[in-house]
Amino acid sequence: MEKIGLKVRARAKEALENREVDEVMGWKKGEFWYDVYPVFITEANEADDLIWDAFCVNNLSKYLIQKQKENKKVGVFLKGCDSLGFNQLLKDNRIDRDQVVIYGLPCVGMVDPEKVKKEGLNKGLLEIKRSKDEITFVTKEGEKKILGRQFDYDKCLACRYPNPVVYDELLDTEIAREVSEMDRFKDVEAIEKMSITERFEYWSNQFSKCIRCNACRNICPACSCEKCVFDNVNAGVSSKASVDSEEQFFHITRAYHVAGRCVDCGECTRVCPAGIPLDQLNHKIMKDINELYGKYDAGVDVSQDAPLVTYKLDDADSFTEHGKGGK
Amino acid sequence: MQRIGVFVCWCGTNIAGTVNIEKVIAAAGEMPGVVYAKDYQYMCSAVGQNLVKNTIKEQKLDRVVIASCSPRMHEATFRKTAKVAGLNPYLVEVANIREHCSWIHKNKEEATKKAIALTRAAVAKVALNTALIAGEIGVESRALVIGGGIAGIQTALDIAEAGYEVDIIEKSPSIGGKMAQIDKTFPTLDCSACILTPKMVDVSTHPNINIYTYSELENVKGYVGNFEVTMNQRARSVNMEKCIGCGICTDKCPSKKAKSEFEEGLRNRSAIYTPFPQAIPNVPVIDREACIKFKTGKCGLCETVCPAGAIEFSQEDTKITKKYGAIVVAIGYDIIALDKFGEYAYTNHQDVITSLEFERLTNAAGPTGGKLVRPSDHKKPKKVVFVQCVGSRDKTERGKTYCSKICCMYTAKHAMLIRDKYPDIETYVFYIDVRTPGKNFDEFHRRAVEEYGVNYIKGMVGKIFPDGEKLQVHGVDALTGDTIKIDADMVVLAAATKAKEDAEDLGRKLSISTDTNNFFTEAHPKLKPVETHCAGIYLAGACQGPKDIPETVAQASGAAAKAIGLLSKDKLVNNPCISEVDEKICSGCLACTKICPYDAITSKVITFNDHGKITKRVVAQVNKALCQGCGGCTVACRPGAIDIKGFTNKQILAEVDALCR
Amino acid sequence: MSVEAKETVMGNKNEFEPLIVAFCCNWCSYAGADLAGTSRLSYPANVKIIRVPCSCRVNANFVLRAFQRGADGVVIAGCHPGDCHYSTGNYYTRRRFSLLTNFLEYVGIEQERFKVDWISAAEGNKFATVMNDVLEKVHRLGPNRKLRDARWKR
Repeated sequence: MEKIGLKVRARAKEALENREVDEVMGWKKGEFWYDVYPVFITEANEADDLIWDAFCVNNLSKYLIQKQKENKKVGVFLKGCDSLGFNQLLKDNRIDRDQVVIYGLPCVGMVDPEKVKKEGLNKGLLEIKRSKDEITFVTKEGEKKILGRQFDYDKCLACRYPNPVVYDELLDTEIAREVSEMDRFKDVEAIEKMSITERFEYWSNQFSKCIRCNACRNICPACSCEKCVFDNVNAGVSSKASVDSEEQFFHITRAYHVAGRCVDCGECTRVCPAGIPLDQLNHKIMKDINELYGKYDAGVDVSQDAPLVTYKLDDADSFTEHGKGGK
Repeated sequence: MQRIGVFVCWCGTNIAGTVNIEKVIAAAGEMPGVVYAKDYQYMCSAVGQNLVKNTIKEQKLDRVVIASCSPRMHEATFRKTAKVAGLNPYLVEVANIREHCSWIHKNKEEATKKAIALTRAAVAKVALNTALIAGEIGVESRALVIGGGIAGIQTALDIAEAGYEVDIIEKSPSIGGKMAQIDKTFPTLDCSACILTPKMVDVSTHPNINIYTYSELENVKGYVGNFEVTMNQRARSVNMEKCIGCGICTDKCPSKKAKSEFEEGLRNRSAIYTPFPQAIPNVPVIDREACIKFKTGKCGLCETVCPAGAIEFSQEDTKITKKYGAIVVAIGYDIIALDKFGEYAYTNHQDVITSLEFERLTNAAGPTGGKLVRPSDHKKPKKVVFVQCVGSRDKTERGKTYCSKICCMYTAKHAMLIRDKYPDIETYVFYIDVRTPGKNFDEFHRRAVEEYGVNYIKGMVGKIFPDGEKLQVHGVDALTGDTIKIDADMVVLAAATKAKEDAEDLGRKLSISTDTNNFFTEAHPKLKPVETHCAGIYLAGACQGPKDIPETVAQASGAAAKAIGLLSKDKLVNNPCISEVDEKICSGCLACTKICPYDAITSKVITFNDHGKITKRVVAQVNKALCQGCGGCTVACRPGAIDIKGFTNKQILAEVDALCR
Repeated sequence: MSVEAKETVMGNKNEFEPLIVAFCCNWCSYAGADLAGTSRLSYPANVKIIRVPCSCRVNANFVLRAFQRGADGVVIAGCHPGDCHYSTGNYYTRRRFSLLTNFLEYVGIEQERFKVDWISAAEGNKFATVMNDVLEKVHRLGPNRKLRDARWKR
């Protein structure tokens, strides 16, 4: 990843020097070993701050919304999952493709600091370096190499798009990795097997942990509304009291609003401070869409109509006895 | 605070018999915003309406709830009442305490409780109603008639006679439709061509009528008074202006193996052909699939012999786009395919024919010159069996559940025609019931039986199979239970009528609905028989359901009258309960534009002053004239930026809350 | 008070009075409900109808709100697919609520409590049948506590 890091800096510098773009969005290292945050740079000399390492998990595409409004041409680094989000934003008309230059970054997976901590490898840790699936832990005492994906985020282990699906320039060679579709919805199947009472209990317990911090909403590339329905007084549902029924309302609505639009980047689950497995909600809807209306992966093909804004005359349904609503 | 008035109607005993009106009045008086509650025996009567009017004025009411019958019945009535009293008509809501309450429930206590709940929901909704003002739109004073059969012809003539321009679009090369194929018409036995062809000539010569034959409707945009229709006029390969209709080309054409559609396949026609001698326009068309020139490049004989130089092989389909104020759909019907009725041997025996084929066989201009002979060996039959209800009143998959309506009469006609011309031919009719309602219809059927000696047998035919030169017809007489065996020479099947194959597709283009049998749905089965749910689109003829000629003509004139009524208006008032975008909230995702059935939503770029910074953004915008107010967009809109007036998110939620008390 | 009378009072108090909120499209199902009335068919008074222009006007929010406010069952009824007054509205209804039906069941709401069906203006009989059927199922399930807002008294 270090070699690619050099490329990242060089490309950003060049783009800003040549005024190819007004701004570049990338990642910058923070104080701690796991600490990486998004930055926006406008000057060529700032490009030296940019990095590409195992913690560049943030999707930068959503920041483009604001930049577009300001009519700025922006260069942005996007991973595979990020590019799906980018396409979803494009589809929702939130960004203008012509105003963006995408530097694509194939990604082997990002490291979950929690998993490192769990193994106790965080003591005295200064830096983590990654080369393919080899993780190097740098401490004062020296370096320790571990081969394997055991520190990857769960969502990275399930990754189906390690390579960007849309880009102008690709900064690394594409990753060839076999992706299995087999177990894609095993989380959903497990919940489907529960009794109705167990399911309700499971989900009410999950939902009641919610503190309505809106992190899931803010991170989500499909939740890009100018004003969320929960903030729109005229919609009449902006209830935010800390009671079970309103948390349930929020979570059902959130999942339903990203139906057919969720790109399965797993960011909502990653950022949830309460540890609610939001992806299990999203997966259920994806599974149903695939089963009822044919396979659809949001964010892959911008030209394809999303499942909820189109229909077929002979669509199946899940509520009449014969399952077909036709004449 | 609002000043809501609640008016509770007794509807005689219809409501008051099951609902304790006093209790509803008392409860309504307590509802938030209600300042006045009053009951009356018949609120829709002049006295009742005056009560509402006067109270609005006296009590300075700013909103009104009428608890009465269904809003589908009298919402319009009470809106008018409010308007007369100076109140915006859209500040009225109706609580349906008759159809949805008093007529359903027997227990007075329960019904009263429910009536109160429904009234409370209406009060909660009306509190959020806003005054709405209907916009005005202009009317294009031209009508389009889809289909050039007798229904379309009659409609076009009536509209044209009223002084409006009419276009007829017809799919086949000539107007005339099914009626042109028919020999005689019941119950008078006058010749079909003799009464139809003069009308066809009238249509073709009328200065207000344009005919587009060999053309199909491609798409329809717009709305009542302002439809924009694109049609595809197929390449005729003959110049309509130059052609003099001499017919030399059709005579000389060497390709003569195509089945004549007009003759129901009983005769062949040439590749360049005019469907029938009286066709309008009398201009032939080249069937490119049969034409040697188109298939191999060699030939071109018609071009050589044409004295007018009218043959144009290079002609291409042309698209025509025109504006219309009204559209009348008159695409007619078809008969069902009989391949699934194996027991009648239609598909494998030439002498088992459909009634429509029989029309051609007995027609003086038909393939046999009107001589009744068997299609197989051209011998005169001795016994002819008619089978009725082939696929009609049939609940199985292969048939149609409805009665095709015309078969009883035409079968009587056919049998009578045979007996009239050839008294020596025996005729038998198998029937389930003989249905002859209609002026002089039953008398007609009686004549067939009593004067012409047609043998009617109540019962169905079980099997028809060839037996040497004969056709064995086995059936059961349902009255005696006896098995009947007839060695017939010819069998005529009264195949069920059905909607046109492309009816549903056309319905979708026009945004009008079709029923389970794909016949077009009228707006009201009794009171709006020629209107559709789409304003400005009317129905005529058998595309709305099986019909005979008199009924078709009557409906055609009805549809024409409706169209004329519309075209005679300078301005139309549109429904104000339409969508509206809150630009502050709209994110410009434009999901709404994708699902709008009327393409009423488009986008625009707006600039915002965001704390001093000027930013720009795409937002949705609604075309007020196009929007019909279905509200689908409001659900596609996640943030709730698009809402529908009269049925806002808040209003519906208020109703939910009010019912859940 | 006699023992019998007392029992009746107690019985009434404990008796489950379900509430069904039904969203009906103006052109088909609402008219179907009207026809049920005109034909003097019967279904329990617990069913309360809200008129919407088209079944595609029904937002998932409305359904959730009804459950929050104490509805024991929710029904959405529209024209049969292909017969929509607005030509295509109910095709979207079909997709939207197929997903919601499954999703609500996934989070633990019994499928019997949320019913979508197609009822034409001519199907007064079907209207009554569907309502009776939903009510019977909801009766068997008992009062709905799920999603319900404890602060709201019905």
